[in-house]
Amino acid sequence: MVIRMLFRLENVSYRYSDGTLALDGISLSLAKGERMILLGTNGSGKTTLLLHLNGILKPTSGKVYFEDKPLEYTSKSLLDLRRRVGFVFQDPNDQLFAPTVKQDVAFGPLNLGQPIDKVKKSVNEALKIVGMSEYADKPPHFLSLGQKKRVALAGVLAMRPEVLVMDEPTSNLDPRAASKILHLLLQLNQEFGLTLILATHDVDMVPLFATKLHIMSKGKIVLEGSPEEIFSNTELIRSIDLRSPRITHLFEILRRKNHLLINKRLPLTIGEARREILELINFGDIIKLKRTTKEGNYA
Amino acid sequence: MSFGNLCAQIDRCAYTNALAKSSPATKVFFALSALILSVSSPSPLVPIIVFLTTTTLLLRFAKIPAHFYSSLLVYPTIIVAISCFIIALFFGYGEPLTEIVLPWFRWTVFKSGVMMGVTTFFRVEGALSCLYFLVLTTSMGDIFIILRRAHIPKILIEMSLLIYRYMFVFMEVAAQMYTAQKLRLGHSSWQKRIRSTALLAGNLFIRTLEQGERTFIAMNARGYDGNIRNLDDLPRPRRVSLMGIVFFDVILVFVTLSTINLW
Ligand SMILES: Nc1ncnc2c1ncn2[C@@H]1O[C@H](COP(=O)(O)OP(=O)(O)OP(=O)(O)O)[C@@H](O)[C@H]1O
Ligand SMILES: [Mg+2]
Repeated sequence: MVIRMLFRLENVSYRYSDGTLALDGISLSLAKGERMILLGTNGSGKTTLLLHLNGILKPTSGKVYFEDKPLEYTSKSLLDLRRRVGFVFQDPNDQLFAPTVKQDVAFGPLNLGQPIDKVKKSVNEALKIVGMSEYADKPPHFLSLGQKKRVALAGVLAMRPEVLVMDEPTSNLDPRAASKILHLLLQLNQEFGLTLILATHDVDMVPLFATKLHIMSKGKIVLEGSPEEIFSNTELIRSIDLRSPRITHLFEILRRKNHLLINKRLPLTIGEARREILELINFGDIIKLKRTTKEGNYA
Repeated sequence: MSFGNLCAQIDRCAYTNALAKSSPATKVFFALSALILSVSSPSPLVPIIVFLTTTTLLLRFAKIPAHFYSSLLVYPTIIVAISCFIIALFFGYGEPLTEIVLPWFRWTVFKSGVMMGVTTFFRVEGALSCLYFLVLTTSMGDIFIILRRAHIPKILIEMSLLIYRYMFVFMEVAAQMYTAQKLRLGHSSWQKRIRSTALLAGNLFIRTLEQGERTFIAMNARGYDGNIRNLDDLPRPRRVSLMGIVFFDVILVFVTLSTINLW
C-alpha cells in the first residue's frame, strides 16, 4: 500500500461525561484531497466525530491517526495539528469572540506568527472570498446569523489549512449564499487540493459535492461509499430516517408507480436528471405527444 | 429605554458616527486631556468651555443625533444638580450670602458654598461630556487596542474583550428566552412572572458557563496559545489634529491660571 491516508480512525468510541455513548466503534479512513460528507440525523454523533479530527476530543477508546501517526494530545503537537486542520463550528457565536470582524479573522493568522503585512493580506483575501469585505470594521453583533457563519469560515480560511472541517456549513444560509460557499469550497479543493470534511443533514447537497459519503446513525457508521452507491439502496436510507435527494426520489416514484423505464441507477443531480429525461424523450411516446399537439395547433 | 437597549445604542453610535474612522489615539488624547483639565479647574469657566467644545464636536462633526445626546445627558444632570444644590446649601464658611429663616429654623448659606456647588456642577458636566465624546465616537474594538498600547495588564483587556463580545450574545439570548416564556404565558400573573424570571436567570447563568467552554474550544481550534493577539492597524493620528488639541489644552491651562485668583 503506497496510498497514504490522511486520516484514519480505528475503532473510535467516545462517551460524554454524563454517560452518553456518542460514538460507538467508528472506523474510517480518508485520503488527501477528498471531499467527504458525514450525513446523519440530529444527535447521530457527527459533531462529536468531527471534534476528534483536530484533537479537541480524545477518544475514550480507539485511535485517531493523522498521516499514519497517532495523534498526540500534548499542547505542542495539538497546535501543529490545528495549524493544518481548520475547523468551522456549527454555531458561529462560539467562534466569533473579537470586537470586530477584522480582528476576529486576524486571530488565527496572528497565532500562526505571520508578519503583520501578511496577516492583513490574508484577512482581506478571506473576507473577500466569503463576500464580507464591507463588514470588516463591524462588530459581530451587527451581523445576521448567516453573515456570522461566513465570517467564521473566513476566520479559518485565513489560516490556509490543508484540511477544512465544517460542521453544518450551509445551515442558516440563504440558497444563494449556500451555493456560493459550496462552489467556493469545491474550487479550493480542485485548485489547492484542500481536503474537505463536512457534516450535514442536507441530503440534496451531497451528490453535487461529495466524493465520499459516510452515513451515521446512533454513533455508528452504517454505510460508506460514493453517493451513487449509497443512494441506490433506498430501503436502507429510509430505515435510518434519512431520505434520498429530491430528484432521485422523484425518479424512484416515476419508476415504481408510472413504470417509467429506467434501467440504470437513478439520477442524483439535476444535470443527471436532465440527461435521463432527454434520453427518454428520444426513445418514447413523449415525442408523439408533442407532435399531436402541434398538429392540433395547425388545425 | 432599558439599560441593555441603551448600551446597544451607544455601541451602534460608536461604530457608525462620522468620526468613527478617524484616529482613536487622537480622540482618546482629546477626551482625556480635556477631562483632566475640566476636573482640576478651580473655576467653572474651563469646564464650560470644555462642555461646549465637546458638545459641538459631537453634534456637528460626529453627527450624533441631538435628541439622543440630550437623552443621555438628562438623568446624570438631574442627579448632579440635586447633589450640587445640597453642596451649595450645606457647605462653605466665611462670608455669609443669605440666611434662610423659617419660624422654627434658621440656616446660613455661605458664598463659598454656593461657589463650590456651581463649580462642582460644571466640573462634572464637563467631565461627563468628555466621557460621552470618547464613548460615542470610539468603538470598543479601537479602545481595546489603545489600552493594549498603554500597557494595561493583558488579563484585564482580554477579559473585558470577551465580556464585551458575549454581553451582546447573552442579551440576545435573554430577550429570546423572555419572548418564548411570554408566548407560553409565563408572565401572565405575578407569581408566574417571578417563577419565570428565576428560571430565566438560572438558565442564563448555565448558558454563560457553557458558552465559556465552547468559546475556549473554538479559540483552541484556531491555535490559541494563551495570548490574544490583536491586529493593530489603527489609522495614524493626524498632525494637524494633535496640534489643534495641544493648542486647545494650552488655552485651557491659561484660562485656569488666570481665573485662580478671580474665583
Ligand atoms: N457536551 C455533551 N455532553 C453530553 N452529551 C452530549 C454532549 N454533546 C453531545 N452529546 C450527545 O451525544 C450525542 C451525539 O451528539 P452530536 O452533537 O455529536 O450529534 P450531531 O450528529 O452533531 O447532531 P446535530 O445534527 O443535531 O448537530 C447526542 O446524543 C447528544 O445528546
Ligand atoms: Mg452537530
